[in-house]
Amino acid sequence: MKSLLSCLLLLLTLTLQAQTTISGTVIDQNKQPVLGANVYLKGTYDGASTLDNGRFSFTSTATGTQTLIISFLSYETKTLVNNINQFKDLKITLREDVNTLDAVVISAGTFAAGDNSKVSVLKPLDVVTTASALGDFVGALQTLPGTTTVAEDGRLFVRGGEAEETQIFIDGIRVFTPYSPTTNNVPTRGRYSPFLFDGITFSTGGYSAEYGQALSSVLELNTIHQPDQEKTDIGIMSVGANLGNTQIWGKNSLSVNASYINLAPYLELFKDRNDWKKPFETLSGEAVFRHKTNNGLLKLYSAFDTTDFSLVQDDINYSNGIPFGLNNNNLYFNGSYKEALNNNWTISGGISYTFANAKTEVFESKIKSTQNSVHAKVKLKYRFNNRFKLNFGVEQFTTQFTENYNDETITNVNYGYNNNLSAAFTEADVFFSKKIALKAGFRAEYSALFDAVNVSPRLSLAYKTGSKSQLSLAYGRFFQQPNSDILKFNQDLQAQQAQHYILNYQYNADGKIFRAETYYKQYSDLVKYDSDFTSFDTDFNNSGDGFAKGIDLFFRDNKSIKNIDYWVSYSLLDTQRDYKNYANAAQPNFANAHNLSVVGKYWIDNLKSQVGLSYNFASGRSYTDPNQEGFLNQKTKSYNSLSLNWAYLLSPQKILYFSVNNALGFNNINGYQYANTPDLNGQFNSRALRPAADQFFFVGFFWTISEKGTDNQLDNL
Amino acid sequence: MYKIAIIITLMFSQILSAQSTYETGMNKAFELWKSGQPAEASNLFERIATVESDNWLPSYYAAQVLILDSFTKLKDKHALEAQLKKAQTFLDDAVSRSKDNPENMVLQAMLHTAYVASDGANYGMSLSPKINALYAKAAQLAPNNPRVILCKAEWDMGSAKYFGQDTKPFCEQIEKSLQLFANFKPETTFDPNWGKERAEQLTAQCKA
Repeated sequence: MKSLLSCLLLLLTLTLQAQTTISGTVIDQNKQPVLGANVYLKGTYDGASTLDNGRFSFTSTATGTQTLIISFLSYETKTLVNNINQFKDLKITLREDVNTLDAVVISAGTFAAGDNSKVSVLKPLDVVTTASALGDFVGALQTLPGTTTVAEDGRLFVRGGEAEETQIFIDGIRVFTPYSPTTNNVPTRGRYSPFLFDGITFSTGGYSAEYGQALSSVLELNTIHQPDQEKTDIGIMSVGANLGNTQIWGKNSLSVNASYINLAPYLELFKDRNDWKKPFETLSGEAVFRHKTNNGLLKLYSAFDTTDFSLVQDDINYSNGIPFGLNNNNLYFNGSYKEALNNNWTISGGISYTFANAKTEVFESKIKSTQNSVHAKVKLKYRFNNRFKLNFGVEQFTTQFTENYNDETITNVNYGYNNNLSAAFTEADVFFSKKIALKAGFRAEYSALFDAVNVSPRLSLAYKTGSKSQLSLAYGRFFQQPNSDILKFNQDLQAQQAQHYILNYQYNADGKIFRAETYYKQYSDLVKYDSDFTSFDTDFNNSGDGFAKGIDLFFRDNKSIKNIDYWVSYSLLDTQRDYKNYANAAQPNFANAHNLSVVGKYWIDNLKSQVGLSYNFASGRSYTDPNQEGFLNQKTKSYNSLSLNWAYLLSPQKILYFSVNNALGFNNINGYQYANTPDLNGQFNSRALRPAADQFFFVGFFWTISEKGTDNQLDNL
Repeated sequence: MYKIAIIITLMFSQILSAQSTYETGMNKAFELWKSGQPAEASNLFERIATVESDNWLPSYYAAQVLILDSFTKLKDKHALEAQLKKAQTFLDDAVSRSKDNPENMVLQAMLHTAYVASDGANYGMSLSPKINALYAKAAQLAPNNPRVILCKAEWDMGSAKYFGQDTKPFCEQIEKSLQLFANFKPETTFDPNWGKERAEQLTAQCKA
């Protein structure tokens, strides 16, 4: 009995002692040995680090089927499952992790701004520290190439496209009315405050199949996932005030922001060219609620604003001017949810609702318009591995538009339309290696209004030509329905379309980015009509077309000169189109040939100040002089503006901010208006279209109160 | 009876040997680290972490080794990013094993600090509030943890110096941490117990 036990014990010890040697070599895809990789048996302490020849060797007392794990920085972790006896003289090749800083990125057409992007052209802070932007994210984007300066408008005009050809999305969900209403000689601003967003992707062409109904450009804004701390922001400005507060509890957080703008006091001091009856006044509020679930994030965003103003606008045909009044209410709600279902599946979706109503008064005409729009989207992402991901989803757009017209002779005429559009998209992201990446997909849309299906393919390819440089190509077909000014009178039309061909070169060294992009854009099926203004008796058709081609250059450098960060953008554009009521193909009046932006920021350490300047040059825009032969036959003189700003940090929480737009007071002319009828000499008189004010001054004081006391509103300026 | 005794003994010896494997492993990893082999040390901590699936300490150290080492390669952007990404996965692991742990928060703040130190213009604005929030939360959870007091004070002192504000309150905090270090008893042999030397260094600088 005793001896038997001893035998058993001995055996047990023997099995415990029986050791297997595990050995091999770890190399990378270029057959180079990998030094310092961690090779070990899962669930045991047995393992080793590879030596400089890539070799490893260790012993283990484990038996049977085992899992060998090889892990190392910037490589994909490899797992081998086999009988432990087979783990001898292994030759293991590790694949590079494509999700690293130096991997190729699809860059054709795309400018990324934010902390999460690999190659960030703008930082979130740039939105608020660019002198000419005045805290408007749209203003900051206008310093990037591919945009055209249309000073009196303020919206984004991209590569010869109209402003409405750019669609804006918040957390992947469409914004139907992104711009604040304004008069026709004061530029508009984006409705939403920039400090709610921490990522901005601005695509000037060739964008993903996920986005539709945009002929030229897509702007994606992502709201902050989770605020860092509770705080209260107070802003007192020469044009109004704002107040914000953020609360965090458990897995929830709520940020609210209210602002009130009234231009009356400012206009008392600095008269502009408008004859204001009731100066511009707007009240707006925003709230974001976020809730973290175990693997997901729910965001509810809503914004409301109401704007009111009235004035008398100069007009060549009316010696007393045109009385114009506007009252606009806008409500936007956006809810989105994203959850990682498991390692491979991610689901995201959202819904937005826009309610906009506007009461416009021009002379005795009263126009009331109401828009109700909904966008709903569900998207699934399947991750096969780091190198192959598949996205697919469906979405629905619904717009209901009604307008009511009244004047001395016409009472209560109602008209409008319902627009339903369903779309499905799928797209694959493939990394062939750290050097070559492909994104390919297509999108199908069904329009109930036109009873038509459109299919648009999208493709982009990127190839790393050196450790710091890469080439990208993109192609895509894009569809967009005519806007409400057309659809409210005629729905017997079809979608307009554009095709983009883009070639992009990017060089990205430490602190320096250079981009050069050339493109060709072809428009077809543009809407044409036969009257000066669209109305019930206008004849519409889809026979218009056009093209835009050009070169966009961008250079940014924040390393070469200490404390100076600057960028330069230049765009060359050649475009013509024959659409709307054009007599023939011509360069539209919102396009010009040359645009140049220079933005510089200088940090003065011992003054705790950042001073900034931005200079903007735009060559002349076209207009029609009826005294001459032809259509869009003249060009205005070129546009120049130099803006300066100064942000002074009184303490980490208190900032004093000054800015002046067009500091040198250039006399800019946006175009000319001609009389409808000639005078006695047979000449059509003209009037220069000037901005409401040549210069704009801004003073603000921003104070952040937080428990920590280190956050500040630089983000908010 | 005799058999049962043997079985019990066997079972015990197994448990004992399991404990000692952990201790041997941890001790060996610390030796590697001390002898200037941070990569090997981190690799060993990683291996221990896969076995000790409920214990947050091996992952914590696997991350810490890489984070501290990253301060020696702040200029090499790609190497730094690779190393801190790996450290982040270990730290995420540690956090999932021990939730609301102030030691993990301090380490996360240090990881962010490495990014800020390497490229303040790029990361300062986005990560500073995160670092502040982590220290604030840690101080709330463990007001008498000397590492929380020390690291928070050192970080705050940096921005106070920049704005030309008085650094005295932070020096006082660091002195307070020294007293706390003197009385600090880690829960287990391997629980975090570092920082005293740094506190002494900084106190000397405060007095200079």
